Amino acid sequence: MEKIILSNTLPVVFQHRSDIQSDVWKQQVCFEKGHLYLVQANSGTGKSSMCSYIIGYRQDYTGDILFDERNARTLKTSDWVALRQRSLSHMFQELRLFPELTALENVQIKNQLTGFKSQEQILRWFEALGIADKVDAKIGRMSFGQQQRVAMIRALVQPFDFILVDEPISHLDETNSRIMGEIMMEEAKSQGAGVIVTSIGKHIDLPYEKVLKL
Amino acid sequence: MKLIWKLLRQHISVLQLVGFFFANLLGMLIVLLSIQFYNDVKPAFSQEDGFMKNDYLVVSKSITTIGGLTGSNTEFSEEEIKDIEAQGFVKKLGAFTPSQYTVVGAFGIQGVASISTEMFFESVPDEFVDVDKSVWGFEEGDRSVPIVLPRSYLALYNFGFASTKSLPKISEDLASSIDITIVMRGAGLEERIRGKVVGFSNRLNTILAPEAFIQWSNARFAPSGSKSPTRLILQVYNPADAHIVEYFQDKGYEIADDKLDAGKTTFFLRLISFIVMAIGLLISALSFYILMLSIYLLVQKNTHKLQNLLLIGYSPSKVSLPYQLLTIGMNAMVLVLALVLLFFMRGYYMDMLLSVFPEMDGGSVLPALLIGLLLFAVVSIFNVMAVRNKVMAIWRNKQ
Repeated sequence: MEKIILSNTLPVVFQHRSDIQSDVWKQQVCFEKGHLYLVQANSGTGKSSMCSYIIGYRQDYTGDILFDERNARTLKTSDWVALRQRSLSHMFQELRLFPELTALENVQIKNQLTGFKSQEQILRWFEALGIADKVDAKIGRMSFGQQQRVAMIRALVQPFDFILVDEPISHLDETNSRIMGEIMMEEAKSQGAGVIVTSIGKHIDLPYEKVLKL
Repeated sequence: MKLIWKLLRQHISVLQLVGFFFANLLGMLIVLLSIQFYNDVKPAFSQEDGFMKNDYLVVSKSITTIGGLTGSNTEFSEEEIKDIEAQGFVKKLGAFTPSQYTVVGAFGIQGVASISTEMFFESVPDEFVDVDKSVWGFEEGDRSVPIVLPRSYLALYNFGFASTKSLPKISEDLASSIDITIVMRGAGLEERIRGKVVGFSNRLNTILAPEAFIQWSNARFAPSGSKSPTRLILQVYNPADAHIVEYFQDKGYEIADDKLDAGKTTFFLRLISFIVMAIGLLISALSFYILMLSIYLLVQKNTHKLQNLLLIGYSPSKVSLPYQLLTIGMNAMVLVLALVLLFFMRGYYMDMLLSVFPEMDGGSVLPALLIGLLLFAVVSIFNVMAVRNKVMAIWRNKQ
């Protein structure tokens, strides 16, 4: 997948609002592979909606979302599954980790599906992000900041053309934010992938090529 | 798969599954048992006379108290026979010809004589007897004669006689081991001949011998006697024809109707089996409902987990699989356990049945096995589809 295009896209709930001033909604936006984007938003401007539309979790929008030439609305179940496994990685704002499983198991449950990374690589990332001692801890017992780092590792154990990270560092200090940014960019570069970061304020300090205001 | 199961087994209610398991087991067992019992018992009621077709009727005149005292005639006259023959429902008519000389039969098993009695023979035209012509026939000079005995004689021997004299019981298969020495006396002659039992009949209360034998022996031992027949055998076009009963009632004739009784019994047996089977199916359906509710509840409680699995790239089929395997596994366990229980219970009732009907061999277990597999397949397919539908509803974000 080379491009993600949002063409005249607008959440259904915004349809009757005439005062929309956005770089994304009702515009022609093209995210290209190999580039780095920041989508900045205020609360209530539809940031999580945008992520949900791209990942195929929700369809309550007008206009179109295109993956290369394919309209997202025409994708079948198997297409979405393939997309989520091989082309599009997403770190959810609400993380969507499994509290019953340990930190490592939460990553493994994804890696078993893709078989993409070795156990050593995964443990190296735990080490780098300063949560090596939490590998066998239940997610439910970890702080949100620690959980965010586990969610990032899980987002990286798959092949992707684009990685969509929704407020990745809202609960992280600067050092950990920087490390997380480095790990993510290193992986994205090695895969030649595009990176789309969203934030409602604090954001990872990265050399963004394009900043869009939602 | 291990991790998925670790996640999805959360909220499984063991109590609900145990409830389903036993309810389904009970339902399945009742269904299979009713089918098996029906198959096993049916032969006891519908043993057909191999040598007499079903559309044959045996007609005689009623014997009344007054008629018996006044010596009124139970023989059919020529005119009466002609009248019956002229009826539209009659296809073929034959008369029973009795032996008209003294017959003494000595019955024995393996050379040991056990009963000796005065007896008689009757014959019907050979075309009414459906036995291989090489077995059923007689020519002058033969040392033995084939005979057909009423089945009740066998029961009389087995239960009334053999058990009190500690003689072996005999099954129908062993019938040829009965030695019958027949002594015929009349017209100043006496001759012995071996009787060979070739079959048993429910429908003919007589000792049947080939027509050629009766003609030969009547001519030899009772040359002067010529009696009119007291019983007639009819082949009819349709045994259920109402005209038949009407006609014979008008005339005051009797039709041997034990065949009808067996038919009634089989009908009630079938009816009861179907009712029991329906109850079993109902219990199975209800237990299926319990399982579906339990799985729905489980899916509902685990909606969030299922949704997250789907969002990180698991396919709906992969996510459905654990619950589908769970239900298939439970159904398979129910089937196996039901079959094991069925065979135990069958062994138990077959012992009882065999002591009452020693000649009976049980029916096939194949129908019960097939129905069990069918039930398993149908229930499993529904389970698999239901789980799949539930997961797809989560996929479509409709939960």
